[in-house]
Amino acid sequence: MAAKTSTDKASFKPRIAAFVCNWCTYTGADLAGTSRLQMAPNVRIIRLPCTGRIDPLFIIKAFERGADGVIVSGCHPADCHYTSGNYHARRRFAVARDVFGFMGIDPKRITFSWVSASEGGKWAEVVNDTTARVQELGPFSAYREMEARV
Amino acid sequence: MQALQELARKLLTDKTANVVIGWGQGPRGPRPIFVTQPEHADRLIFDTRCVHNLATYLNPRRAHLVPFVKKAVVVKPCDARAVAGLIRETQVKREDVVLIGMRCGGVVRDSDMDGKLTEATVSPRCMDCPDREPKLADHLMGEEASAPPKGKGPDMIAKLDAMSPAERWEFWQKELERCVRCHACREVCPMCFCDRCIADKSMPQWIESSPHPRGNLSWQMTRVMHMAGRCVGCGECTRACPVDIPLGLILRKMTQTVEERFGYRVSDDPTVPAPMGAYRLDDKQEFIL
Amino acid sequence: MSAKTLTQADLASLVGDLVAAGTRVVAPSRTGVGPLQHLDYREIKKADEMTLDAGLPKRSIKELFFPPTEVLFRWKQKKNDFELQEVETKFQKTVVIGARPCDAAAPEIVDRLMNWDYKDELWNGRREATTIVALACDGQDKSCFCTAVGLGPDSTKGADVLLVPVKGGYHAEILTAKGEALVKDFGKRFGEAKSADEAGKFRETARAKVEGNLKVDPKPIRTWLDGHFEDKYWGEIALRCHGCGACASVCPTCHCFDIVDEPEGIYEGARRRNWDTCQTGKFTLHGSGHNPRGTQNMRFRQRVTHKFAIYPRKFEEILCTGCGRCARACPGGMDLLEILSDIGQMAGGAA
Repeated sequence: MAAKTSTDKASFKPRIAAFVCNWCTYTGADLAGTSRLQMAPNVRIIRLPCTGRIDPLFIIKAFERGADGVIVSGCHPADCHYTSGNYHARRRFAVARDVFGFMGIDPKRITFSWVSASEGGKWAEVVNDTTARVQELGPFSAYREMEARV
Repeated sequence: MQALQELARKLLTDKTANVVIGWGQGPRGPRPIFVTQPEHADRLIFDTRCVHNLATYLNPRRAHLVPFVKKAVVVKPCDARAVAGLIRETQVKREDVVLIGMRCGGVVRDSDMDGKLTEATVSPRCMDCPDREPKLADHLMGEEASAPPKGKGPDMIAKLDAMSPAERWEFWQKELERCVRCHACREVCPMCFCDRCIADKSMPQWIESSPHPRGNLSWQMTRVMHMAGRCVGCGECTRACPVDIPLGLILRKMTQTVEERFGYRVSDDPTVPAPMGAYRLDDKQEFIL
Repeated sequence: MSAKTLTQADLASLVGDLVAAGTRVVAPSRTGVGPLQHLDYREIKKADEMTLDAGLPKRSIKELFFPPTEVLFRWKQKKNDFELQEVETKFQKTVVIGARPCDAAAPEIVDRLMNWDYKDELWNGRREATTIVALACDGQDKSCFCTAVGLGPDSTKGADVLLVPVKGGYHAEILTAKGEALVKDFGKRFGEAKSADEAGKFRETARAKVEGNLKVDPKPIRTWLDGHFEDKYWGEIALRCHGCGACASVCPTCHCFDIVDEPEGIYEGARRRNWDTCQTGKFTLHGSGHNPRGTQNMRFRQRVTHKFAIYPRKFEEILCTGCGRCARACPGGMDLLEILSDIGQMAGGAA
């Protein structure tokens, strides 16, 4: 599946996996849709109960399975449905971002955001920004080349 | 050394401990020994070649050592941090271990070297180590130690940080292509105590067990994430790696991040909560949109 | 068996010739800088990448024939059917230069297993494509014990050509048809043999040096192992063992593997063979949760017994070449020489 990703920059359509929490960002994304906001069509949403449920391994797995970029998004601080899941996630991703970066994964490929249920507009922005950024970076060909050696 | 041997003899004689885990002379330099008879206490030694982190033998995953129940362990400051970690994470009961703390001025890279501590021989783990004596100890031994020599050579973390992501990627691909996924890094780690590691789980298979570049990268990134705020910096993973991958570099980078962001330094105080199980309302979030 | 002389310069030219002829050349080679430096067998393109005087590479030669991971076949799912895609079992012609005798002997020992009830095409394919030019060794350090397992620092087992260092180059013994073919193809690089005596002295000195490390007889050890499965000696053998399997990873003869199916997409994937080791608890863990080798002591007994009793019983070969890598690699200080010496004493006492 991964191997079929286009590596031609001109015709490159980024594939972006978004891991979002059920209570805020997913609802926010829903609102963006029902509000008919214009959004890049490159994002696949994976709904989880809370950002606290999002293991950094999900990001790795997304890249493994062909993603060129990843979005992780959930409730704003103090808004977590489970009180503190997003605070824990914030710590976790602060470290993950550095470690992944240190191993050579460009942090620009990963977006972290807080998008509440009422922020349909912000979600559209996050999606468009991330897509544009990954479009600019091009396909994650390093990962694909690595897979060719698998 | 004599004091250490005497103490061990006493602990075994009065049954305070059923085993004293320390270092003894082996065919290739000092190595872990398990003294169960008071008359064998004179086998215990301690010098700059005693590199092994003996806290790893307290790890409950080591089924063959569990029957000893009451164990006395000789610990350097880095080992004491690991014991504190095991207590903090409820793997070991404080009252079940007698800790014999050794003052330490650094160790050499491996136990089969000669024990002379110089810029060239000092273990990388000792470079950032601020502790000259363990605070978590029931007994404290050894002479006052001075700080270990600063290691020679470029600071690899700074060097890697200065590279572009593509260059760093290239560096790690070269290093990780040697990985054979023996998981020695995990087995020697005092803090890796899961009975079933995520790398061994196959339903679903989160981390591919094959030693190909993709599986190797996933494994190492995950291992470091699981060590966040828990790694005691003892460097055993790097020493154990049969293919010499500089695993300590990633862990030290992670440790730096944890310290900078959360002001947390892994200590040998088991009552300090681990940073990844805690949070502050005002944790920095400049990277979040 | 014939002998030739190969000078340093001719060896360097030979590497060039082989590479030019499209042969893959593998030799001990140093890579990395500073503390990250290591010596491994790896493919080289030029003679100066080769390091023949730095001793035993950290990893053994086995991965040239039995890589840490390899694809056995790939599959594609099509509606209600499967399509299997075979892998190539013909391999590029390879010449290994400078394999130490303890490494060169190992594939020949493992050949027995790989051609026992099932003939392993991948192993055999690589074996057939590979010529081994071994380099007599003068002993790495005190953990060498090749002489105790019936080999030696100058052993010719498994080698197609054996080079013995002499002044200015090597005395080359041509041992097999493959070796003869190499000499025939690159005849201009090999001169008349003239240093047999000097080579003989080198071999004697090296042997004497290694013999001092461990003096045991593997025969009584095998007998003792067969009769002492429950001996109390095993009860505390592996207290310091981490069960990390570093020993098996660097061992030239350890050959256990795991087979996994890995998806490479939704409807396709590969079946792979990966290195495995009896030193980890998961190796024998049953689906029921029961583990017949429940403790590290049992697992270490398995390691020793398999190498010195089970394999010899089945194949009349000791599954160990005495390279000493396990003792050097062990982060816990387990030492096979010490264990063999212990068992040797117990076996001697019993006899």
